[in-house]
Amino acid sequence: MREDAYAAALGGLSGATARRLHALLEHRSPSEAFASIKSGSRCTETVPVEVFAEWQQEIGGVDLVALSQRLDSVDARVSVFGEASFPAQLFDDIDPAPLLFCRGTLPDPALAHVAVVGTRRASSIGREVARELGMSLAQAGVVVVSGLALGIDGEAHRGALLANGAPPLAVVGSGVDVVYPQRHGDLWNQVASAGALVSEAPLGARPEPWRFPARNRLIAAFADLVVVVESRHAGGSLLTVEEALRRNVEVMAVPGSVRNKAAAGTNQLLVDGASPARDVTDVLVALGLSEIAAAGRRSELATESSAASNKGSTDKPKSIGGQSALVLDAIDDGPTSLDEIVHRSGVGVVDVSACVEELVANGLAVYDGSRIRKSYR
Amino acid sequence: MLASVRSSTLDGIDGAVVDVEVHVTNGLPAFTIVGLPDTSCREARDRVRAAIESSDLSWPMQRITVNLAPTCVRKVGAGLDVPICLGILAASEQIPIDSLADISAVGELGLDGSLRAVPGILPMVDVLETNRVIVAAADAGVATLGAGDRVRPVRRLRDIVDVVSEGLPWPHVEPPVDEDEVADEPDLADVRGQASARWGLEIAAAGGHHLLLVGPPGGGKTMLARRLVGLLPDLSPQAARLVTRVHSAAAIRLPGTGLVRRPPFRAPHHSASMAALVGGGSGRVVPGEISVATEGVLFLDELGEFAPSVLDGLRQPLEEGVVRVARSGGMREHPANVLLVAAMNPCPCGEGGSVNCRCGPSTRLRYSRRISGPVLDRLDVMVHVDRPSPSALLDSEPGESSSLVAQRVAKVRQLATSRGAPTNAALTREQLEVAAPLDSEATDVLHQALSDGRLSARGAMRVRAVARTIRDLDDAGTTLRARDIYSAIGFRVRPALGGCDA
Repeated sequence: MREDAYAAALGGLSGATARRLHALLEHRSPSEAFASIKSGSRCTETVPVEVFAEWQQEIGGVDLVALSQRLDSVDARVSVFGEASFPAQLFDDIDPAPLLFCRGTLPDPALAHVAVVGTRRASSIGREVARELGMSLAQAGVVVVSGLALGIDGEAHRGALLANGAPPLAVVGSGVDVVYPQRHGDLWNQVASAGALVSEAPLGARPEPWRFPARNRLIAAFADLVVVVESRHAGGSLLTVEEALRRNVEVMAVPGSVRNKAAAGTNQLLVDGASPARDVTDVLVALGLSEIAAAGRRSELATESSAASNKGSTDKPKSIGGQSALVLDAIDDGPTSLDEIVHRSGVGVVDVSACVEELVANGLAVYDGSRIRKSYR
Repeated sequence: MLASVRSSTLDGIDGAVVDVEVHVTNGLPAFTIVGLPDTSCREARDRVRAAIESSDLSWPMQRITVNLAPTCVRKVGAGLDVPICLGILAASEQIPIDSLADISAVGELGLDGSLRAVPGILPMVDVLETNRVIVAAADAGVATLGAGDRVRPVRRLRDIVDVVSEGLPWPHVEPPVDEDEVADEPDLADVRGQASARWGLEIAAAGGHHLLLVGPPGGGKTMLARRLVGLLPDLSPQAARLVTRVHSAAAIRLPGTGLVRRPPFRAPHHSASMAALVGGGSGRVVPGEISVATEGVLFLDELGEFAPSVLDGLRQPLEEGVVRVARSGGMREHPANVLLVAAMNPCPCGEGGSVNCRCGPSTRLRYSRRISGPVLDRLDVMVHVDRPSPSALLDSEPGESSSLVAQRVAKVRQLATSRGAPTNAALTREQLEVAAPLDSEATDVLHQALSDGRLSARGAMRVRAVARTIRDLDDAGTTLRARDIYSAIGFRVRPALGGCDA
């Protein structure tokens, strides 16, 4: 029987807190601990008598073969604290996980790890920033750590996957075989195959609310730096920030509009002294990867100038050419409605619609049916 | 004695001839009506008796049998009161039997002997071929559309008796006054700002393209939709007659002259059932809102709140312009040639993912999924209607008036007629190939959109039709340019209404 099936069984015991598991596994391997519980010898004082009695009963009913099949079915394995396969970043953590369920291959600990986190109810701009940040970080060889939640977390991972750069790392709150949110099923598999997907929760664990603060602690523990893209006032991602501060991990926040409720928490972080993360360069400089950052700046400048030259070359020959430039100028930095563009540019509705669609087709603008904004790419 | 009077009843939106046979004979006094009458028709017994007695005529204390032939057709409503009454009077020899030879009658009786209007009078008189058609004075205007000067409008039962037995002339009934229908329609000049919504209305009216208005509450979606009718041309004589028939059958108040000349505007509440929207009912098949709105505008406010099954029920009628309602009694085909205008909020709270939105991403997604793709696919033009800015509300000049826009609309509709379809939206694929050729740049744009996956093949045809209307409104040039295609694509419906892609 594989050793990690015993570990999975121990992790699945009811009331198996991190403290109790650490005590249990401090001096013995999972299989030894398993055997000693089964035989009824209470090997540690940390586990109360009545809990131990319960464990003894539970462990009698454990089907190790089925458990190892369940691990195989999602291609997962269990790493125990202290083993060589256990992530190096967590060895000296102040509140380390006793065991970790893991799908995929953990990224090289030598790579910089940046947590990109934020609210589930993000604004469309916030989502886009998260995606672009995830993409640029992965391109720069930085592991993007996040929680695979709706909103910012998921977008950061989407971006990281698009980049095809450094592998992504996801820390989830439910068991590695319980996809949550359901809508991110594909994303789970993609992250697990491109990088790693880890969880402290045993197989089959539901995404209960109390699991998420512990998950956030692991995200902070993995990260060399935490970037909060958007957080509401008193949002869950602020827990990640607290955990990061406990570990002396630097926290950065993406500045948001003062009118944007989804950015109330991040703006408060800036007030409290977090460094602003306007783009990937700010993050890379904070990581001390300024060479990559400088290279990024150069290529950015290059693309900007080429975009400028493109503007000249693609717009002019088109029949609606001059107007497209007018329309592009009339688009705010924020999302702008069609009527506002009509008002500002003085161009007719039909032509504005045509110009906007042309800009969208050329990747210069984004239109979601209600608002138009310039593309950041 | 036996008497027979010609009349008719309503079957869907058509009339069906009914011969009312009355037999009066000695025996125990009794009064039975046979021949598949519905409840209101069966109740004619009590009304007819009271009306006869209040008109200084005598009720025969004999055995009275009324047969409504043919017996296979279900008789509905009170329109047979008058012929039943005349039949009884003739069979009891109070009026001469042969005086009814060339007379037919449709009308409801009051207990005081007065004649009342009945719904569906136009289709009912349409099938009557006698030289004199007696109707209630209140129905005179509409009935004249069907039977011309053969109509004999009458106020009281006594008047008919005076004519047929005393030989008096038919009473004179004042022709109804002609009301100005257009005066009731709200004007587009009241709308301030809202440039894109105005344009959406104009293109919908000109090309017959179904329109979707999306925006937060208070943006003026309903106000705009109500102004669409004012942009449409008057109904053609055939269309006017059809609409009047349907409205008559659906018991909708008709204008004084009887003829509906302006396109109808119907705005059913979102709790409407399938039967209410497409037509139906248990006994008689009643035309639904989509038929009542035929040749006009069907406005579905709060599209997201309609039952999805009801909305999907509109797919076939929108495609074919007719709705077939099948019931155990048979299948009825009703017209359903509407211009659909739908309005909805981008999400349940209405803010559509903006910073004030209180809806979570899953709520927004669920809301946008309430409307099936095939339904959205039939809406050719989508316009986002924002709350107007304060400056637009207070300072700006009044916009163009409806009559100015209506002139352009009429011009484009004429162009469509010359291409062989009532509107550009109704052009077939073959007609579009001829009527909407693309220049090389426009072809590139369309190809690009198709290969990017931004358009489906069907979507590309719709874009072409909308682009045709755009060009028609501009300078009516023959070939479509890149600008026309881009603009038409720009106004396509976006599947993620709230801009939500999570």
